[in-house]
Amino acid sequence: MKKINKYKVYRGCVAAGKWILFALVSFVILFPVYWIFVSSITPPGELFQTPIDYIPDHPTLESYKFLIDNVGLLTKIGNTVFIVGLTLVVSTVLCAMAAYGFARFRTKGISLAFAFIVATMLIPEVVTARPLYEFLRAVNLYDTYPGLILLYISTVIPFTVLILRNFVDEIPVSLEEAAAIDGASFTQRLFTVVLPLMKPAIATVCIINFVTCLNNFFTPLFYSNGIQVLSVAIVQLPLRDNMYGIPWDLVSAMGWIILLPIIVFVAIFEKQIMDGIMAGGVKA
Amino acid sequence: MAVSKKSMRWIPWLLILPVVLIRIFTTLYPILATIKNSFYDIRILAGVNEFVGLANYMKIFHDPKVITSITFTIIFVLVSMALHIILGVGLAMILNMKFKGRRFIRTIVLIPWAMPTVVIGMAAKWAFNNDYGLINDFIRWFVPAYQNSWLINTGSARGAVIAMDLWKDLPFFAILVLSGLQFISGDIYEAAKVDGANGIQCFFRITLPLIAKNVLTLCIPFTLWRLTSFDLVYAMTSGGPGEDTALIAYRITTEAFTNLNVGYAAALAIMLFLVMALISWINIRFMNKIGD
Repeated sequence: MKKINKYKVYRGCVAAGKWILFALVSFVILFPVYWIFVSSITPPGELFQTPIDYIPDHPTLESYKFLIDNVGLLTKIGNTVFIVGLTLVVSTVLCAMAAYGFARFRTKGISLAFAFIVATMLIPEVVTARPLYEFLRAVNLYDTYPGLILLYISTVIPFTVLILRNFVDEIPVSLEEAAAIDGASFTQRLFTVVLPLMKPAIATVCIINFVTCLNNFFTPLFYSNGIQVLSVAIVQLPLRDNMYGIPWDLVSAMGWIILLPIIVFVAIFEKQIMDGIMAGGVKA
Repeated sequence: MAVSKKSMRWIPWLLILPVVLIRIFTTLYPILATIKNSFYDIRILAGVNEFVGLANYMKIFHDPKVITSITFTIIFVLVSMALHIILGVGLAMILNMKFKGRRFIRTIVLIPWAMPTVVIGMAAKWAFNNDYGLINDFIRWFVPAYQNSWLINTGSARGAVIAMDLWKDLPFFAILVLSGLQFISGDIYEAAKVDGANGIQCFFRITLPLIAKNVLTLCIPFTLWRLTSFDLVYAMTSGGPGEDTALIAYRITTEAFTNLNVGYAAALAIMLFLVMALISWINIRFMNKIGD
């Protein structure tokens, strides 16, 4: 009898410990996120209260309205969606093609090209920034959509090619050989046999790249000026006269506009994101 | 697949050409240009552009601003990585626990990973504000009338930057550690339990040795990312107070784009790149040795 009780106490402690750790991690992550949300719906004047009022007495969407009317929020959202969307489409097509080439044709030259792509992962953005800036100016791509999209595509290439190539490697060649015997041409084999099989890998890569592109700050900061995306806009918000230091009223509102879709996105694709991160160890 | 026909030889090249060309123009060409620039004294504002050999590299060791940057970068990398390993393994264990809230907690740890670093930086700038920030408000729940201007003092500003770096990247590190943990078969723990091992013994004798190599391998890219960390400091402290939180990547972009000392910035960038290449090379040698 006594032994069973001891065991029960032990199990109880373990369960309680788990819940305490669980609560701690949740609090550290979610509380700041909640604070950003609350700040965004608090009237600007009431942000200067101590202690902080975590349930605002006069919730308002005034900061959001100001962003739309005076800061051009909708244009910035449009820019972000356009650049990220086009980047995802074009990069996926180019990288899927390349992945197939790298996986199926293992000549010396092709393998060298693959090694080059992987090696360029090591070159940090700060090292290439100034010459790249001058190059873009010289070819009139600075501060243009094509220029930005090209650079966004470039940042996702190594990871995407690596993941997709490994995936194509797993697809048996015999499937394509069977199609070839049936008279399918090279392009037919690529588009009707291999590409449909790549769908799950493409989905994972797109989900991860979406986050990578949304988080990209370096590229839009240094290679554009007039075309603003959300990540740059948030550091260049105007200071209203009742604020000092940083325009926290507007920053929190814009921060929440960026955060809300991310939270929804993460909740929907939790499994794919986990798989994608574990497959490639990508930096967002 | 055998490509027998000679006319098919160009097909693979056609497939890989776009991505290779893009990477050549966005990484290979600019890094070569940076290497060349590093031997020139290029100051756009002064209209100077002349060959100076290694003078830019020599200057690095006499520039107090750069030495401050290098010092903080080293502190930042070492402290952050040590905490990444300790807390990251801990968080991975939590994520690996079998209990009802598992899916929920795995979802929320993805939020910091998916958030743009600049959003975290901007929020942190206000959160660490003495009067109205979240951090001091929270501390005042326990220590009434607590005062601390975090970002004004060197030590606490550096600590705050490291704390936010951990908040952002620790979940990501933990998920990667978790992928190693999941490969450990439950049978091993069952066997250990039969032999009378307790939880702590299981962790130090089974879990840790089995994930050690995985964790060490992870440390390399995470160290390299810390060395090139830019967004956080840009948004949170702008390198302040003074230059005390100006990480080396931030210093380089300031020289290149604000002070327009292009040659000097190039020399700094190449030094950073050489350090990164050295770390990667040591890693490859080291990993091959312990691989067996």
